Amino acid sequence: MNWVQFWKFVLIFTISAYSLLVVIVSIGGIKNIVDMLKDLKAPRS
Amino acid sequence: MDVFATNFRTIDWIIVMVYICIPVVIGVAVRKYVRQLSDFIVAGRTLRLFIAIATLTGTELGLVTVMYNSELGFKHGFSAFHIGIIETLCILAIGLTGFIVYKLRQLRVMTIPEFYEKRFGRNVRIIGGIILALGGILNMGLFLQAGARFMMGVTGYSNPAGLKLFMSVMLIMVLIYTVLGGMVSVVLNDFLQFIVLSIGMIIGSYFVITKIGWDNLFTAPATVDKASWFNPVAEGSGFGMIYVIFMVVLTFSAGALWQSGTLRALSAKTPKIAKQLFAWGSISYLARRVIPMLWGICAFIFVSQSPKLLSAFQGPDALNSQFGMPIFIAKVLPSGFLGLIAAGMFAAFMSTHDSYLLSWSSVITQDIVAPIKKGELSDKKRLLITRISIVCIGLFLLIWGLWFEAPVSLWNYMAVTGTIYLSGAFTVVAAGLYWKKASKTGAMIALFAGLLAILGIGPWTQGENVPFYLSDKFIGVMTFVIAFLGMILGSLLFPDKEKQSEAAQ
Repeated sequence: MNWVQFWKFVLIFTISAYSLLVVIVSIGGIKNIVDMLKDLKAPRS
Repeated sequence: MDVFATNFRTIDWIIVMVYICIPVVIGVAVRKYVRQLSDFIVAGRTLRLFIAIATLTGTELGLVTVMYNSELGFKHGFSAFHIGIIETLCILAIGLTGFIVYKLRQLRVMTIPEFYEKRFGRNVRIIGGIILALGGILNMGLFLQAGARFMMGVTGYSNPAGLKLFMSVMLIMVLIYTVLGGMVSVVLNDFLQFIVLSIGMIIGSYFVITKIGWDNLFTAPATVDKASWFNPVAEGSGFGMIYVIFMVVLTFSAGALWQSGTLRALSAKTPKIAKQLFAWGSISYLARRVIPMLWGICAFIFVSQSPKLLSAFQGPDALNSQFGMPIFIAKVLPSGFLGLIAAGMFAAFMSTHDSYLLSWSSVITQDIVAPIKKGELSDKKRLLITRISIVCIGLFLLIWGLWFEAPVSLWNYMAVTGTIYLSGAFTVVAAGLYWKKASKTGAMIALFAGLLAILGIGPWTQGENVPFYLSDKFIGVMTFVIAFLGMILGSLLFPDKEKQSEAAQ
């Protein structure tokens, strides 16, 4: 594999993997925020 | 073609203006959740995995990140991608092993120097805190300038007064919501900004690749050397083997110990989540490098196709290369979407600034002022000092950003100023956690050794024929080496007295 092919692979991998991560984190993050605010609201010692 | 011609229209201004009000509203709304200092600094240690990934990305993918990476792509082509690969592998290694971050989260510290005190005593914490604050604040010294250049390039507002205007407005917006809501506000804003910016970057990449063409993208422009455009260790690439080594030590230590990123690990609900955060977050680290570099590469190809644009970036009165990417996207992205990208980038600017302001102000309060006062500060006073520090740092950024110009590239400035803190901190924390013989004297030597990195932004690093031993990359590598040797020799020659007496017993 030469440099051009390698950077093509890196570019395609990056955009694909990041797109997938954005979808997963966006969905999972909303639930996490609700839980976080519940934790912060709960009485603490 | 006019250099500052842009597709940025009234609708784009409206999108940006509406968007920048959202963080302030969130800052006010979440104020009621901040009841104690740990809520303000580490969001009460309540972060779960997905929100932690979003906030880590929001922090580490700032407008300044986009600017310095696109500048690298603009100047060095695909060979700059190697930094992204190195950083991603380092972050993944930290995530898989939990190196440093797992143990730090277990110790429930809120800042890195807090660990110094637990392991080496109060004096090391104060000195470490001062060096951390110095390196960190210098490091963010050019954030405003880079952000303002982006906004000027995109909006086409090329009036010299524009730089000052943009910088002041941007800073005020961030200061308001960070001072109000602390980490809770920062986390929620980071999440929103993660979504807006990520979508903008992915769609934007489609536009810029379509504009340049997939095949053209991988053909080196006639004005550059083909080998050095693709190969980072080729002669003339501007990098070379010493630079690659510098990037390995720098990105590994920054991954584990850069206060703003590590603060996310320390805010995680459990040590296991802190570890997972880095494993999953490694993809974000790859994207934060590769996508802006791609835009910079496309910008250079675009500029090199227009003699008028090309001449604007050449000669004694050449435009700063940081303008390359914003000027390019201002011409190729359609109105409406350009406003969304600008809003996303503005979001990126704010999400980095808020976290960095919070990080360094927390260090000033927790690691410098409070230890000097010997723990006599109430939570309320600490909160007040943290908020005052945020405003003071903001003022410094405005002044520094107005007159200081990075001697080499923006990223090299960031790397060198980051080394001031990282070289000492990485050595001290790694040795403190994993080497029983590490002593106070060794820690002090390592921390002070980090100050040598300041030499890397001096005037002797500028010019065409700088000897390798005066280059910023060599100075950076040597600072790490000297800090490391200082820790080992200092600890062996001057062991801690308490440990000697323990061993004798």
